Amino acid sequence: MAGLRDWITIPDKFKNLLIMPVQLTMNIVAMPAFALAWYVGFTNWSPAAGDWWEANFIFFDNFINLAGDQYFIGAILRTLLIVGICVPIEFALGFLLAYVLSGDFIGKKAVITIILVPMMVVPAVGGYIFYLMFLEYGPVNALLSIVTGTDFRIAWFNQPNTALISIMLTDIWQWTPFMFLIFISSMLALPQDPINASYVLGASRGYTFRRVMLPMLRTPIMIAVILRSIEAFKIFDYIYIMTKGGPGYTTQTISMYLYEWGFKYIRFGYVTAASLLIFITMAIIGWYASKPLRGVK
Amino acid sequence: MKTSERIGSLTRYIVALGAIFFALFPVFWMVGISFKPPDEWIAREIIWFPQNPTIDNYLPLFFTAEQLGLFVWTAVSQTAVKSIQNSLIAGLGGTAVALFIGTTAAYAMSRYKAGGNFMPYLFLTFRMLPPMAIIVPLVIWFTTLNMIDNIVGLILLYGLFPMPFVVWLMRSFFDEIPVEIDEAALIDGCSPLQTFVQVILPLVRAGLAVTGLFIFILNWSDLLVALTMTRKEAITATVQLGSYMAETGQLYGVMAALGIILLVPPVIMGLAIQRYLVRGFTFGAIKG
Repeated sequence: MAGLRDWITIPDKFKNLLIMPVQLTMNIVAMPAFALAWYVGFTNWSPAAGDWWEANFIFFDNFINLAGDQYFIGAILRTLLIVGICVPIEFALGFLLAYVLSGDFIGKKAVITIILVPMMVVPAVGGYIFYLMFLEYGPVNALLSIVTGTDFRIAWFNQPNTALISIMLTDIWQWTPFMFLIFISSMLALPQDPINASYVLGASRGYTFRRVMLPMLRTPIMIAVILRSIEAFKIFDYIYIMTKGGPGYTTQTISMYLYEWGFKYIRFGYVTAASLLIFITMAIIGWYASKPLRGVK
Repeated sequence: MKTSERIGSLTRYIVALGAIFFALFPVFWMVGISFKPPDEWIAREIIWFPQNPTIDNYLPLFFTAEQLGLFVWTAVSQTAVKSIQNSLIAGLGGTAVALFIGTTAAYAMSRYKAGGNFMPYLFLTFRMLPPMAIIVPLVIWFTTLNMIDNIVGLILLYGLFPMPFVVWLMRSFFDEIPVEIDEAALIDGCSPLQTFVQVILPLVRAGLAVTGLFIFILNWSDLLVALTMTRKEAITATVQLGSYMAETGQLYGVMAALGIILLVPPVIMGLAIQRYLVRGFTFGAIKG
């Protein structure tokens, strides 16, 4: 019994006891899956053909095929395109909004709260909301008709470009508030003395903003952009709900590609190989990208 | 008031109104559809406000067609009762698991420097990975364990996936408590376990509550894990939404009603912990 008591009385043992739950869970749930991936990714396994240990070991064939898979490459490029368009727009909108609304006015708190609502919406529901919005007889076409004065009737989900635009607008609607939230709380927390001093010394608003405020906002800006880029890279829910990757494969992103090849065509060996590639790439990127998050303690 | 200041505050109000419109209109539109009868869902002449408000769209979510009598638009094959229940059970269970494994690890990292710098950074990196790139191997493993379509399996995953958030958030809360308090407790004769459970944990009660709500929101919002890990018995409400979509495609009002039910809890909880959202989403890096 004395041995058991040691676990809660001797600091070093207690430390190990504390991290045991997370280690156990990792070792039972995640690690075997990870180990399996390293085998299955080198086989041509499909569950329809039997158990995974019966599948043929085909060495690097999956990876060679992936390099020439236009759908895989297309999905990667499309995902990068979505990140490259959505994140800058979300950043610009969120930052401007935060800058304008960081001044004092009546009802400020309520306004900030309302702007945060989209961010709290379940992404799958957000996808469904925008599916409704972009229907042929939905409000987007109706509003565009009013604005342009013509009968505006686009079937948004039937054409590759408009389908992609509707997906990106959903992402922008939902996640601009995220940028806004980080920036407005950082701006409101800025020390006022240097800013006032700059004004007193005769600096213009623009100069004060560039030379005094912006440097102080560097870390929040980096963190917001990095986190949002990484999250946008995972984009799945909207596409699954709105277009299922269609028309054709034209709105298929990385997550959607893995889902389709895994769960529709059930080519587990192939999709595991693709997963490993994405996994390793993103692990390396994530390791370095998360650096700004670690320092600010 | 100077003219420039007046223009400034006018700009602010215009911008604020515009932002509120864009933020709320889409939600307003779905709320509207959920209370509209079928002929108003996608009318050729757009109907902005429900003309004949009805709760008929909500009924098929909770009652079967036999229980309701026959409506044309109630032809959903399955009510959403079970899936909403599953969302709640898996969400709460997962949150409990995440809090337990994450808080203990966070305390070990904050006070005993467990895992040095490497382990916390590793957990952070996990969260950066696209979940879809992990899920296929996980499905293979869970099939071997016979845990597919199993609520316990889902709870385990809902504990594991948000765990990095718990570790980093709770670590930031623990770090705010002076180590001297631990030392005093130890000197007064508390064992390390008593110090943790009876002295420090009560001090981070608020942090635990905030973290718990945050994790529940994440779990409640999940589509990807449930979609791939469940088939029929353990499906969650988000998966149900997707399956209504595939199966009917046209029952806009009923799906909108389910959307509202899914949307309300996280919005209320999120606004309740608004002050901590920045900290939550940035893994405790920005205190807000």
